[in-house]
Amino acid sequence: MTLTTGRELPITGLRPTGEPVAVWIGDADPTQDQSNQLRLRPPVSARTVSFITVAALLLAWSLAAHLQLVSPVFLPSQYAVAAKLVSVAQNGFVDATLLQHLAASLGRVFAALVVALAVGIPVGIAIGVSVVGRGIFDPILEFLRPIPPLAYLPLVIIWFGIGEPSKILVIAIAMIAPIALSAASGVRGVSQERVNAARALGASRAQVIRHVILPSSLPSILTGLRIALGAGWTTLVAAELIAATRGLGFMIQSAAQFLVTDVVIMGIFVIAGVAFVLEFVIRRLEAALVPWAGRD
Amino acid sequence: MTKLTLDNVTVHYEGQPQPAVVDTSLSVASGEFVVLTGRSGCGKTSLLNVAAGLVAPAGGRASVNGLPIAEPGADRAVVFQNDALFPWLTVRDNVAFALRMRGVPEAERRDRSDAVLTQVKLEGYGDRRIWELSGGMRQRVGLARALAAEPDFLLMDEPLGALDALTRERMQTLLLDIWAASGVGVLMVTHGIEEALLLATTVFVMAPGPGRIVKRIEADFGRRYAAGEPVRSIKADAVFVLARAELADAIFEGELA
Ligand SMILES: Nc1ncnc2c1ncn2[C@@H]1O[C@H](COP(=O)(O)OP(=O)(O)OP(=O)(O)O)[C@@H](O)[C@H]1O
Ligand SMILES: [Mg+2]
Repeated sequence: MTLTTGRELPITGLRPTGEPVAVWIGDADPTQDQSNQLRLRPPVSARTVSFITVAALLLAWSLAAHLQLVSPVFLPSQYAVAAKLVSVAQNGFVDATLLQHLAASLGRVFAALVVALAVGIPVGIAIGVSVVGRGIFDPILEFLRPIPPLAYLPLVIIWFGIGEPSKILVIAIAMIAPIALSAASGVRGVSQERVNAARALGASRAQVIRHVILPSSLPSILTGLRIALGAGWTTLVAAELIAATRGLGFMIQSAAQFLVTDVVIMGIFVIAGVAFVLEFVIRRLEAALVPWAGRD
Repeated sequence: MTKLTLDNVTVHYEGQPQPAVVDTSLSVASGEFVVLTGRSGCGKTSLLNVAAGLVAPAGGRASVNGLPIAEPGADRAVVFQNDALFPWLTVRDNVAFALRMRGVPEAERRDRSDAVLTQVKLEGYGDRRIWELSGGMRQRVGLARALAAEPDFLLMDEPLGALDALTRERMQTLLLDIWAASGVGVLMVTHGIEEALLLATTVFVMAPGPGRIVKRIEADFGRRYAAGEPVRSIKADAVFVLARAELADAIFEGELA
C-alpha cells in the first residue's frame, strides 16, 4: 500500500480493491471496514495546512508592505488597514460610519432575501408538484440563472429607476433561482410513501403540500438559502453601483475612486467576514430547524 | 357494520405489458382480519393500494358499503412497511396527524393521541423524536397514527416485515389485542406463513403471472387468542400445524413445477 508511507499526499489514490479514484477519503471508504486495524491518515491535517497558508500570506503581505516592495498607495500595511477599520468605525467614510454602511448593505440583502423566499419557494414547489408549473417556470429560471447581475442591472435601472427598490431587485433576482431550484429538488425528493400516508390519514392536496411536502423539502430549501445568500452578497457591490449613498459596496467603490486603498482592502475583509458569519448562522439555523436531516 | 368490497378488480400499470392483478374479488367487514399473502410480485400491494384509494383499478369496482372508492380517506388508514412517519413531528404529533387534518383542537388531539399511545404501549413517549426510536417502536407509532384516525378499516402492507423475530411476535399479539378491542376490519399483507394464520380470519393466497387469488383459507386462531388461549398452545395445536402446511403448499404451488 503506497498510501500509508506518508511521503506525500496522494492526488490519485487506489482503493483497496485496486480501482483508481480521483479523490481519496481514507476515513469514509466503505470498503475499508476494519478501520481500527488500518486507518489511513495523512501526515498533516488540512486545517494545519490552511493555517500555515494563511500565516504565510499575511507574512508575505507584511514583508512587502514593510520593505516598501510595493508602494503603500497600492498595498498598505496590515496596521494601516486595521487602523482604518477603527477610524471608519468611529469617524466614518463618505458620510457614514462603518456600522451604517454595514447596516445598509445587510438591510438590502435581507430585504432581497425576503422577496426571493416569497417568490422562490412557491415557484419551486410549483415546479416540483405540477407539470404545468415546471413547464412555466423551468425555462424562465434556466434563462435567468446564468446571467451576471451586471448584465441586467442597466435594464432594472431603465425600468425601475435608481431608488432602493432597484437595488433590492437586482440582489433578489440573483437569489430567486437557487432558492426555487433547491425547493423544487426538495419537493421531488419527498418520499411517495409519506405523501400516501398523509392522504390516507385524510389530508387534502393542499394539506399534503403544507404539512408534508413543505417540511420534507425544508432541508433542501435551507441549502438553497445558503447558496442564495452567497449569491446575494456577491451581487451587493453591483447593486450598490446604482446611485447609492451608503453600503459596503458603495464605500469600496468611493474609496477606489480616490485611491484610498486601505479602505478598499478593509471593506473586502469586512464583506468576507460578514459572509463567514452568515454562513455560520445558517448552519446553526439548519441544526435548529431541521434536526432530522440526514438521520432518516 | 361496514364492508369494503373489491369486485373483479384489475390493476394495470401504465406502460406495463400485462396487468399486475386480474379479476380479483374479496371483501373485508368490520371485525374481520383478512390477510393477503403470496410470492413477491403477485400483486398484494397493488390490491391493498386499490382498497386504500391510492391506485385506481383498470377494471372492476372497489367500494365501501356500496359507495365507490375514489381517493384515499381516513376511514381506511394505512400502515406502511417502512413506517413512513414524519420526522419533523414529535411522536405525539405524528399520532395526532389525522386529527389535526380534521381540525380537532389541540387539547383534544393531545388527549386522544396519548390514549392511543397507551394502547400501543408507548405511554410517555409522546415528546420523543422519531429518530430516537427503535424499529419496533417506530412501527407502533405508525400503527398508533393509523388508529388515532379512528378508521373503519386498517390497511397494512407488511407492517412487521422489517422487525426482528422476537419483536415481530410481540407485535402480532399487540395487533390482535387492538383488533379484538376495536372491532376494525383489517386488510393486511404479509410474507409470514405463521403470521398469516395466527392473525387472520381469512387468508387469501395470491399467485403471479398475472396476479390473482388462488386459494382462500378460513382460520380462527386469532379469535382463539382473543378469547384467552396462549399463542404457544395455539401454535402447538395439530390443526394449526396442518393449516400451516396447507398454506405453505398453496403459496409455493406451481413454483417448483
Ligand atoms: N407503480 C408501478 N408501476 C408499474 N408496475 C408496478 C408498479 N407497482 C407494481 N408494479 C408491478 O406490478 C406487479 C405487482 O406488484 P406488487 O407490488 O403489487 O406485488 P407484491 O405482491 O406486493 O410484491 P412484494 O411481495 O414484493 O411486495 C409487479 O410485477 C410489479 O413490478
Ligand atoms: Mg408489496
